[in-house]
Amino acid sequence: MAATGVQLSRGLELIVKSRRNEIAVAYILMAPFIIVYAVIFIWPTIQMVELSFTDAPLIGEGAWVGLKNFWRLQSDRLFSTAIWNTFYFVLLSVIPSTLLGLVVALAVNRLKGWVQSVVLAAFFLPYILPVSVVFRIWSWMFDKDFGVAQHAITPFTDGQHVSVFRTLPLFMPAVAFVTIWWLLGFNVLLFIAGLRNISSEIYEAADLDGAGRWTQFRRITWPLIWPVTALVLTIQLILQLKIFDQVYLFAANVRTDATMVMVQYILKQGFQMNKGGLAAAASLVLFLVIVVLSVLQFQLLRARGER
Amino acid sequence: MIRKVLYATLATMALSVGVARAEDTIVWWDFLSGGDGVRMKAMLDEFNKEHAGKVKIDATTFEWGVPFYSKVQTSTAVGQGPDVMTYHESRMPLGISTGAVSVITPEELAASDIKPSDFGPANWKAAQGTDGKQYGVPLDIHSVILYYNKDLLKKAGLLGEDGKPKGLDGAANFDAALAKLTTKDVAGLSVPDDNASGWRVFYTLFNQQGGEFLKDGKFLDGGNLDKATTALAEMNKWVKNGWTPAKTEYPASIALFTAGKAAMHINGVWEVPTMVDLAKKGQLFDWGAIQIPVFYDHPATWADSHSFAIPDRKGNPVDAAKRKEVLDAVHWFNQHSLEWAGGGHVPAFLPVQESAEFKALKPNSDYVSLAKTAVFDPVSTLAGVASPVYEAAGNFVVPAMSGEMSPADAAKQMRDDLQNQAK
Repeated sequence: MAATGVQLSRGLELIVKSRRNEIAVAYILMAPFIIVYAVIFIWPTIQMVELSFTDAPLIGEGAWVGLKNFWRLQSDRLFSTAIWNTFYFVLLSVIPSTLLGLVVALAVNRLKGWVQSVVLAAFFLPYILPVSVVFRIWSWMFDKDFGVAQHAITPFTDGQHVSVFRTLPLFMPAVAFVTIWWLLGFNVLLFIAGLRNISSEIYEAADLDGAGRWTQFRRITWPLIWPVTALVLTIQLILQLKIFDQVYLFAANVRTDATMVMVQYILKQGFQMNKGGLAAAASLVLFLVIVVLSVLQFQLLRARGER
Repeated sequence: MIRKVLYATLATMALSVGVARAEDTIVWWDFLSGGDGVRMKAMLDEFNKEHAGKVKIDATTFEWGVPFYSKVQTSTAVGQGPDVMTYHESRMPLGISTGAVSVITPEELAASDIKPSDFGPANWKAAQGTDGKQYGVPLDIHSVILYYNKDLLKKAGLLGEDGKPKGLDGAANFDAALAKLTTKDVAGLSVPDDNASGWRVFYTLFNQQGGEFLKDGKFLDGGNLDKATTALAEMNKWVKNGWTPAKTEYPASIALFTAGKAAMHINGVWEVPTMVDLAKKGQLFDWGAIQIPVFYDHPATWADSHSFAIPDRKGNPVDAAKRKEVLDAVHWFNQHSLEWAGGGHVPAFLPVQESAEFKALKPNSDYVSLAKTAVFDPVSTLAGVASPVYEAAGNFVVPAMSGEMSPADAAKQMRDDLQNQAK
């Protein structure tokens, strides 16, 4: 009896020991990542927050100025324009690109065999292009004097050629259109993966019960694909809040103030105006906006999905 | 074993030091792409061939504008960067204020045989700080010029016996000429619709009225505002009357001219090779280029200058011996700048600018007169290539020209915007 007691406690000890070992091993294995993450992400982030309370130039030390940078942002007309343009772009791109992705995925999913592969590849191809190439393609297509897209525009404008990216009200919608064309393939891919996860038995059962296509979509596909939809929406939201490349390229060297977006504002203040502190403050605002919006959106979408 | 490795390492190090001594390397950064890049590469090859065994220039090209200048600023701040770099003279004030460029002393210049008197006074001075010290040595003067289609001008009776346009001086005459040249299929004039082009044309017209863009820290102060409005109104007139197509992108504006759909074209001298190459292939009409006509009181043309500067690498300065080599090389490039002039530029180095060879170079010698009346950008950290002033031109000059903003409003807003940024 006593012997078993000893054995038992021995066994427990071993388990605890090996547990301890396991944890130690886990930490050792995680260490490289944690160190790299801390050094190249956490530490610079803390420093950026610190920088936002100083009047530092792009490089070098600055004096502590408290909330002055944030006050300046708040009263800067250009910063308000940048925020407004960013939100406007998000509005134009996030939901349309998600819905379009779903529609295309549903269509592609009904194709079979190599035709499906070819169509899918065709939709995915733009996604692998660098933004500079996308910019070149579309700036030439839309070119006011020689662009091929003018043939599609002139019937609506009495034969007048339109400089799409140089007409302010058309600028953001046009950039959103190009962005959706460019990034759609990725959304389609995610949706197709989601659609393939829905068991065909459910549809067969619905068929037997006499459910039509629309009912099947509304009652089966839409609820079951919802987690993917929520994911795509969130990815898109974060991505589009950080909009920069396309706007920068398409508006390059013309009316940059009127088309300014937030990341561009940071670039302007930091790298052109040599105001590191102000740029850091603007970055912090953008960071907070992204965190708050994406957490909010994800929670909202999840709540809806669990209903 | 360890000792062996150590010795081997030491030996290799000694060897590599020995090799480096035999042929010094100058690290060179520039922003010259396109035709300028090709031409500079040929000159660099020639330099390296001529100096083989003594000095070798190791050149790297970065992207023009903000990317180049950001890279220079960030690398010099941490003691990195090249031994020599190209630098726009208009960008000098910003370079000096951020500590990216180093002072070149008169003794150093003299030691490399670089004489201030070999350059135009305004050109030489544009590479100085407000402290009167020299920070760069100019290589060229580049400006905007008026390209013209001889066939179309002749048809409109605007071509003189000498093959140059006639009757374009004076705003009213220029406008009348545009009206004459414009037909259903052909525009009188094409101008690129980007901030830099807008700035160059605007600054030219503004200075022809004797305007001062920045005076005692104030932008467009007093009567200068009216002069700016006048210049913008003139540019707007071209578009409003249909003489100039609105909102034409840079490449398209050139294409309009080279396709014979625009009789004249205002653009930088750097597009001369484009025309020369097309003409060589037999794909261009008979063309020419002259200095921008005098619209108002006196001739004046916006100009900038590619210059050479030595970076101020913090904690790791370019040593004296290397600086001597760099300045020798700079002098060599100026002496050989006739080749650089093939890119349309006017050589800054007067012995080349006034040489018989350059005078024989067409069309450069037809517009070389602009060098005498060239006006450089205002001296301010807000001005120069890819600066807030350029951006303001995009935000106000360009829409004023296209008619999206009234000239008077645009001038006022430009003044307020820049004044606000100067705070």
